[in-house]
Amino acid sequence: MIGKSLAIDVLNAGLVTGADFAEIYLEQNDSSFLSLENGKTESSLSSTTYGAGIRLLNKLQSVYGYTNDISRKGLMNLATSLAKSFQGERLITVEKINKVRVKNAHVYERPLSEVSREEKIALMKEAHEVISSYDKRIVRIQCSFMNNRKVVTIFNSDGKQFADFKERGRMAFVAIASENGKIETSFEGPGATAGMEFFTAKISVRDTAKRVAELAIKMLTAAECPSGKMPVVIGNGFGGVVFHEACGHSLEATAVAKKLSVFSDSLGKQIASPLVTAIDDGTIANGWGSNNIDDEGNPTQRNVLIKDGICTSFLVDSFNGRRMNAKANGACRRESYKYEPTSRMSNTFIAAGNSTHEEIIAATKLGLYAASMGGGSVNPATGEFNFSVSEAYIIRDGKIAEPVRGATLIGSGADILMKIDMVGNNLQRAQGMCGSVSGSIPADVGQPTIRVSEILVGGRGGVLK
Amino acid sequence: MNYKKFFELAKSKGIEASELYSAKKYSLSFELFHSEVSSYSTSETFSMSARGIYNDKFGVVRTEKVDAKTPEHLVDEIISNAKVIEKADKALLFKGSDKYQKRNLYNKDIPAISIDQKMKNLFEIEAKLKKADPRIVEIEGVQYSEDAIEVNLVNSYGLNLKSKSNYYVYAASVVVKQGEEVKTGYKVLLSNDPKELDIDKFVDQVVENATSKLGGTQCDSKKYPVILNPKTAASFLDPYLESASAEEVQKHSSLFIGKLNQQVASKKVTILEQPLLKNCFFRYFDDEGVATVNKKIVEKGILKTYLHNLETAQREGTTTTGNGYRGGSKIGVGFVNPSIKPGRKSEADLLAKIKTGVYISSVAGLHAGLNPQSGNFSLQAEGFMIRDGKLAEPLSLITVAGNLLDLFMNVREVANNAELQLSGISAPSLLIKNLAISGK
Repeated sequence: MIGKSLAIDVLNAGLVTGADFAEIYLEQNDSSFLSLENGKTESSLSSTTYGAGIRLLNKLQSVYGYTNDISRKGLMNLATSLAKSFQGERLITVEKINKVRVKNAHVYERPLSEVSREEKIALMKEAHEVISSYDKRIVRIQCSFMNNRKVVTIFNSDGKQFADFKERGRMAFVAIASENGKIETSFEGPGATAGMEFFTAKISVRDTAKRVAELAIKMLTAAECPSGKMPVVIGNGFGGVVFHEACGHSLEATAVAKKLSVFSDSLGKQIASPLVTAIDDGTIANGWGSNNIDDEGNPTQRNVLIKDGICTSFLVDSFNGRRMNAKANGACRRESYKYEPTSRMSNTFIAAGNSTHEEIIAATKLGLYAASMGGGSVNPATGEFNFSVSEAYIIRDGKIAEPVRGATLIGSGADILMKIDMVGNNLQRAQGMCGSVSGSIPADVGQPTIRVSEILVGGRGGVLK
Repeated sequence: MNYKKFFELAKSKGIEASELYSAKKYSLSFELFHSEVSSYSTSETFSMSARGIYNDKFGVVRTEKVDAKTPEHLVDEIISNAKVIEKADKALLFKGSDKYQKRNLYNKDIPAISIDQKMKNLFEIEAKLKKADPRIVEIEGVQYSEDAIEVNLVNSYGLNLKSKSNYYVYAASVVVKQGEEVKTGYKVLLSNDPKELDIDKFVDQVVENATSKLGGTQCDSKKYPVILNPKTAASFLDPYLESASAEEVQKHSSLFIGKLNQQVASKKVTILEQPLLKNCFFRYFDDEGVATVNKKIVEKGILKTYLHNLETAQREGTTTTGNGYRGGSKIGVGFVNPSIKPGRKSEADLLAKIKTGVYISSVAGLHAGLNPQSGNFSLQAEGFMIRDGKLAEPLSLITVAGNLLDLFMNVREVANNAELQLSGISAPSLLIKNLAISGK
């Protein structure tokens, strides 16, 4: 990409008007996307994003610019134009740059960038076969395989250079079932920061495909979900999306620093039931949301956000940390050079508790079992959230009874955290894409089975009886 | 990049026809927080997308890295990608329409205004928001941004189309507090005419949006007659129109299968697509180079046409409707400037028809809580109770559930207050016979 001497010139051009920090982030991301529609390869796309972002900080102000002209002229022009935002005298001059060693935590046995299109297609076809032979009512099947290799170099005015690369892959399976004018869809999307071995040895693509097929058919015949306030048992794995959206985003410095979060003043205070311990861990080997270093060069960390119900840490990037008098903890992320980085989640989960899944169901007389969740969204200032439930059942007398469809969970994060009254021992993580101010990034959500004593459930099936 | 070199190389390697689509983007944005410029951002990027037909199949590649090796990289990737394609359709590139309604919608007045003046506007908005209402406890941010894009579509048949457009956005968001209750409100203004900014009006709208939510309660769970405000009506129109895509119909995922020339909405509903409307969403050619046309998709409740691109049209032996737009990895079916044709009655006239009902001012969670294939939705919503024909207490954390097709079939009245949303969709308020609301 660019050498140290050019980097020094660009950083110094940015610092000329008194910025106290300057950074160049360079990136090349080569990705491949393959999709199968009803068993036939429908599209194959290769894509390269390539460019640089320059960030200047001056106390509590930040300026950011990006370009894909990374020639000397392009970068100097950008740094000079950004520097015009400040009117001071130069405070810092960068004289030399030292390379910081970045330790790679991820093993790639067979890097996806070296696996042929044909081999990936063959694996998708296996999944397609499993789904299409499951039930005639499945009318449309989509399978896709995405992988990318991202190479990143960061230079900053502390005289540091970081270089890192990562390779991620994700498969996605969608089954659409139809009968008598009713249509239901189901989805699974396993992924990792790993090679082809993740899909051929670590997980079973056939089992995942079968679950997708089963769910589409099950929901097709399910009755409409009743509505109203009720106890809700949320299943493990992707059920953790509720914590991610309703609480995790409110613990990011992006919202906390400006006191725009419901948890801004909650450090050391009880914000959840004592049964809840929640962790954001960007270091998990081969984790979908893991990184060796974050997008400003800090090593990623395992951050305990909530310990036994007490708020113990936020997710902090260096810029927002200035406003909070807090140290960055490896949580600064961005989709690409087109985004100014900020604090974001990585692999976030509620830690395992003591109850078994069966005990939690058995302890619930009448309520909803949200076995798997769809997506959702949240307003960080109020903590109000909504989620769709992709697989749900009514719990009657401590047993899982009839399946129901079309359920939505509505509430506020702070309220739900306090109402968690049982936590299971079956922690599992699942993969998702998290969208926020610094773009769409891979993130794991996770939890064991949990029970919330009361949530507002939306649905079209009338009152729960 | 040397386009000629690319086309020649492609031809010499056996690519039957090829296309280059380049986009040059410029953006500027800044934000105020606590009377200081907290962020400032600027960008200039160039990206290139190439498609080529090799053995009757498309190979597609995109890149932002443009150097001497780019033509060769594009050609090699087109061939490698085309080789694995199995779908039956013969790949097609477009030779050109007879006539294009070209128009320049790039407004030089936007970049001509100094950055200082744009900053001053933000400071003025912030200062006015501060004084506007004692319940405003925080101004989350006041933002300005502008974007310009220049696209060029060139293919080996000699088609060469260009367009350039720009727009600006002012946005502000505030937090209001009353007792322990906290709500947020915001307003976003998107336009390509700087004269449309009226700071006092903008400030009033931010304040109104936030403070009107205070005192929110939940209503009893049951079916109510509902009025959707223009923003919410537009939110529902977008996924509803997905069903008009011939691609969704052909793939069995549409609510409109077998419904051509049949009733898909109440007689009160007429839905238009107007890509040639003079606003910042204007398009005179689609992403396949086909000239766009204004059309009625639904007329008085009857579905008049499906929306086609070259490929979906070929499958049915019909012609494209100029709706080929890029989505993800391929050219899908899209629409520009869709709208529900406004009626004659005011929103107040619609309210007056309802004794007890619910007025919905926004819905959240559309990407997860609404399934465009089945049409079923269950969404977080906020709004007001309607009592004796007037807006009464605010409602928050309620859910609204139903089915899209039923919703449009049950439209009883269409108001005259159409508003263009950020999404590019325009709709007026709609009175719906009833929808399931859950609250208490």
